Amino acid sequence: MTTTAPHIDRPRTTAEGRTALRPRRSVPWGKIAAWAVMVIFLLITLFPFYWMLRTALSSNNALATDPASLLPVGLNTGGFERVFGLQDVETAISQGGSGASINFWRYLLNSVIVATTVTIIQTFSCAMAAYAFSRLRWRGRDTVFLIFLGSLMIPQIFTLLPNFILIKNLGLVDTLLGIMLPTLFISSFAIFFLRQFFNNISREVEEAALIDGASKARVFFTLILPMASAPLATLALLTYMTAWNEYFWSLMVSYTDQSRVLTVALGVFRAQAPGTGPDWSGLMAATLVAAAPMLLLFALFAKKIVNSIGFSGIK
Amino acid sequence: MTSQNHPDSALSRRPLPTRPGLSRRRLLQGSAALAAGAAGAGALAACGADSSAPSGATQIDYWLWDANQLPAYSAAIDLFMEQNPDIVVRITQMGWDDYWTKLTASFVAEAGPDAFTDHLARFPEFVNLGVIAPLDGLAALEDVAAEQFQDGLQELWSDQSGTRYGIPKDYDTIAVLYDQNMLAEEGLAPEDLENLDWNPEDGGSFERMLARLTVDTNGVRGDEEGFDPTSIARYGLGADAGTDYTGQTSWSPFALSTGWTFTDEPTWGTRFNYDDERFAATMDWYFGLVDKGFFPPFGTFGDSSPTQSQLQSGSAALVTVGSWMISTFANMEGMELGIAPLPTGPAGTPVSMFNGLGDSISAQSTHKEEAARLIAFLASDEAQQVIGERAPFFPATDVGTEAAIEAYSARGLDVTPFTDRVARGETGLYPLVENSASIASIMQAAFDQCWMRQIDGADFASYNDRVNALFE
Repeated sequence: MTTTAPHIDRPRTTAEGRTALRPRRSVPWGKIAAWAVMVIFLLITLFPFYWMLRTALSSNNALATDPASLLPVGLNTGGFERVFGLQDVETAISQGGSGASINFWRYLLNSVIVATTVTIIQTFSCAMAAYAFSRLRWRGRDTVFLIFLGSLMIPQIFTLLPNFILIKNLGLVDTLLGIMLPTLFISSFAIFFLRQFFNNISREVEEAALIDGASKARVFFTLILPMASAPLATLALLTYMTAWNEYFWSLMVSYTDQSRVLTVALGVFRAQAPGTGPDWSGLMAATLVAAAPMLLLFALFAKKIVNSIGFSGIK
Repeated sequence: MTSQNHPDSALSRRPLPTRPGLSRRRLLQGSAALAAGAAGAGALAACGADSSAPSGATQIDYWLWDANQLPAYSAAIDLFMEQNPDIVVRITQMGWDDYWTKLTASFVAEAGPDAFTDHLARFPEFVNLGVIAPLDGLAALEDVAAEQFQDGLQELWSDQSGTRYGIPKDYDTIAVLYDQNMLAEEGLAPEDLENLDWNPEDGGSFERMLARLTVDTNGVRGDEEGFDPTSIARYGLGADAGTDYTGQTSWSPFALSTGWTFTDEPTWGTRFNYDDERFAATMDWYFGLVDKGFFPPFGTFGDSSPTQSQLQSGSAALVTVGSWMISTFANMEGMELGIAPLPTGPAGTPVSMFNGLGDSISAQSTHKEEAARLIAFLASDEAQQVIGERAPFFPATDVGTEAAIEAYSARGLDVTPFTDRVARGETGLYPLVENSASIASIMQAAFDQCWMRQIDGADFASYNDRVNALFE
């Protein structure tokens, strides 16, 4: 009890100054340490991005003269110029670049078309399928769902050749539709993901709508979809990223610029022949540029993602 | 929350005021419309292409992997299309690894190219699988004689019975590359690297040069007292990240210059000679350089530190490099490229591996005649001149090679240490055999272990038995 007395007295005796009102605090070491750790982690996380930028702004032919330099070696924008196809082939080769013409905007457009179309259609069709699996009663539903789940276990490499032969027979080789088709409508993961969410949506709400005369379709469009907007956004983002990053299938189907997507185009930047050094500055510049849309998406939808992870829905 | 008391199952049993037929139809209609829309969007996107052949012309696909070769071949193929308006060539280029994966998968799916750049390591298996077409009998190629290429090149592209499966495009040899500034700082002249010799016993003047150029982290040279072979600032000889069973740019110049050959026959051998004493001695010497500190231990340099980076960063003084890398080395800043011949071996001359790429035609192609016209044109003097002038490599014919030598010379580069080997017949052929993939996987372990200093040259004999068993 004796120790509390001075605390009670202090405001009364030193009322003239605001600062004196507060108890004298010692240096907040804990806070400083926490900040320091956070800053260190931040730096560690951001350093690879900085290193990419540093390499992108370096001269390819000078990089090895000072490999440990924190600043760009032989500062120039040649890497970015090659990415955007602003360099002629001779200059590009003389700077350690690729002799392939780089039709960057075309590849970007192709990637955007593929990722956007796949995201919109796949998310929508998977939402319908998940609704069917979750809320509609039909014979063999659970069996079909199990088969769907089982397909998650099949490695992609098993389906590669049959898919490719099918696409070839459909005459869709070297078209964007050929790249999109295998993942355009169905993703077992997406169906599973959404079904789990739909299962948690209150049946009472749905029931009320049905009693009021709404059709199942209307329930789906006006009730279920809006209520599932957070997981749908998350799923759409994941789908977009997967479609954006898809490499091997795109490589198989794409023959020319007309269907070449960014990931495949980045492959062109990599070592062309065994023993040939990669065009590091071009590769890093291209990777940064290719990552930009993903970063933008994250910046725009970060809140949605966080929310959807912690969402509770209407129980 | 009025239905709190009803279990979920009750809901399904209860008749509901729904219109299932209508809603299902609507859903189906909606998804069909979406599918059609997507197909339309895809087709529209595809329509933006500009590579479709004009009416009446035949479109053929030509694939290659090397972007550095692309400009030269694009120029030649443009010329071909000018002269052959009935053919449109669609060129596809992709990186080395992707190339073979896609090529193999495309053969399975029967969606491969009509003509493509082929590699000696892959071609025997393609012949076995029957996926590449024999070139004899194709009218356009009848006039393409073996004599128009450098000696031995056409043999590399023919099977045991002499049937051609590829038309040579280019060739490559090995030489020693260095930085002239570094050499000058060491008080040496380019001539000091001209006439070096090598032997597996004491390494000859080449090893003495490596010792002279090796510097430890205390600044002591490899041939001076107090040299610490475990802490090296600059290795005398640079290294690729890995050495494979052909050792093309690493150990093969040394082994071949002892008179050793890969197999019992110049091409299509069925017995490997990894159990030969000369080979064993070469391995003991070559990888023994690690113990002496003149050569980097296994794993010192990874794929991201190829020999050009080692030379440029001053981590290595000399590197043995293939001719396809000349331009890359010549473009590097902060150094002045010097090219020296390989050291003379016990056989009395330097010996370089002789390898080359060729053009093959897919067995599935429905346009073999058109593809044959293309690759015959690429082998013509007219095309070889065009290619040679732009080439960062040596085209297969004399005309192309001369054009390339002149083009390099105009840039101040004397590339004759590469071309002399062919001109003087000082070459050993690339081991053209069947089972190359299996051989590679068996021998990789042996070379890695020898480099790690876990096995000796004599231990290669047991691996050789396993390799030879593949041919029984």
